[in-house]
Amino acid sequence: MSAGFFRLGRFRVDLLAVLPFLLLILMWRTLPSLTGMPEYMFPTIGAVWDKAVELTANGQLQDNILDSLGRLFLAFLIGNALAVPIGIAIALNRSASDFLRPVLTFLQSIAGVAWVPLAVIWFGIGMGSVVFVIANTIFFSTLYNTVAGVESIPKVLHRAVRSHGGRGWALYSELILPGAFVNILLGLRIAMARGWHALVGAEMIAGSNGLGYMTMEAVQWYQSSTIVLGILCIGCLWLAMDQLIFRPLERRTVVRWGMVRQ
Amino acid sequence: MSAKTKISVVDLRMEYVDENRGIRHIATDGLTLDVKENEFLCVVGPSGCGKSTLLSAIAGFLKPRGGTVSMDGRPILEPGADRGVVFQEYALLPWKTVLENVGLGLKLRGVAKAERDAVAMRFLDITNLTHAAEKYPHELSGGMKQRAAVARTLANKPEVMLMDEPFAAVDAQTRLTLQEELVRIWDENRLTVLFITHSVEEAVFLGDRIIVLTPGPGKVRAVVDVPIPRDQRHWATINANPQFVAIRDRTLALVRGLEAA
Repeated sequence: MSAGFFRLGRFRVDLLAVLPFLLLILMWRTLPSLTGMPEYMFPTIGAVWDKAVELTANGQLQDNILDSLGRLFLAFLIGNALAVPIGIAIALNRSASDFLRPVLTFLQSIAGVAWVPLAVIWFGIGMGSVVFVIANTIFFSTLYNTVAGVESIPKVLHRAVRSHGGRGWALYSELILPGAFVNILLGLRIAMARGWHALVGAEMIAGSNGLGYMTMEAVQWYQSSTIVLGILCIGCLWLAMDQLIFRPLERRTVVRWGMVRQ
Repeated sequence: MSAKTKISVVDLRMEYVDENRGIRHIATDGLTLDVKENEFLCVVGPSGCGKSTLLSAIAGFLKPRGGTVSMDGRPILEPGADRGVVFQEYALLPWKTVLENVGLGLKLRGVAKAERDAVAMRFLDITNLTHAAEKYPHELSGGMKQRAAVARTLANKPEVMLMDEPFAAVDAQTRLTLQEELVRIWDENRLTVLFITHSVEEAVFLGDRIIVLTPGPGKVRAVVDVPIPRDQRHWATINANPQFVAIRDRTLALVRGLEAA
């Protein structure tokens, strides 16, 4: 299946996966000069590299990355800690479903960046607002995947666990959480991706630091190299998270269990 | 065999309601039968006679609309570890290894890991599955899955094992092997078994007694005793046993409604 690979430390990198990135770099290298685009509109690789060195040397880049990651993880925890139990309740309990589904569907349509103006009024510019908006986005991504996951557990598995003595909390730890894990994991991944979108959006409007704020602030000074650097950082961080956290988690659990094919 | 009654089903009426279409289907009505302690009882009947519904009532999965189901004189209200069920669909948990699946019941009652692994290994040995202990269910054949499911139920030491057409989904060759293994395992680990099947041959091969149900709504049409010694129950020879052939033919006629009880 794969065209070959090389090793980067202990990580295996597929050549086929690297090719599109090389292509992008090639386009970046050639297209602006071919089309005569001025550098303030799209910076050269050298300019972005210089900017990266400069912002790393004075510590700004690391600070902004850590600020953004911190918010993202905090919001990820809050959003999921609410979404998983509420999702399970909706899936298992008719009254909870009747009570919560319509109002959550209503709120889902305005999830995310639409909350920024109110969030700013409630929490002010900065950490609180940004975390609120991301957590809100993550909540809805995870919620509906959790509901679908719990509902997808076959009735016969419920019966098997109960006829072997399963009751109370054990039903959740032995049956419902692992049974819904395929969908929950899928949900967590989508949630994290959407969380990144929300993070950048929220920081641009309501942030006082972070990667999103960094790119937006750069606009005022026509610092296109900073903007592109910010975009590159966001892309690389999400790619790394997916490859280093979500993919291995998937391989060790749902793929190993034969619940999804790789 | 004059053992005491383990499970008593009296005048059972079970209904199935299709909520989407608003149709009420009567699965069994006026069904009365006893399961004796430590007997191997088979229930046969045509499709739709309510035999699986009967099992669900005894397991506590479904509530009776009328009549009573009781074990040792106490009404059955919900599922419990005293009545382990083996399902046609195996119902192994995909996220647990075979060893962990077999140890499930012990884990649920709080037995420490070392001890439950030891017990589970013993039952994997009995069911010829020791080599598959660390595999996940999706890596097993149908026959191996069902062996693991039987081991899971036996390892939990239930008072009654309820088997719902357990060999209906495996191929014909494997089915014969599993039936012979079940005869051997049950000889070595006696407990009360209620075995639901649509195969008369299977019922005569496995059972001490057979209950034949009428087409739905199911009632008892006949009770057939199977006094064939258990050491004669091998597929290589049993078809030459005139007693087996006679009981099989009579039971088949009863199932098809060709012979009066």
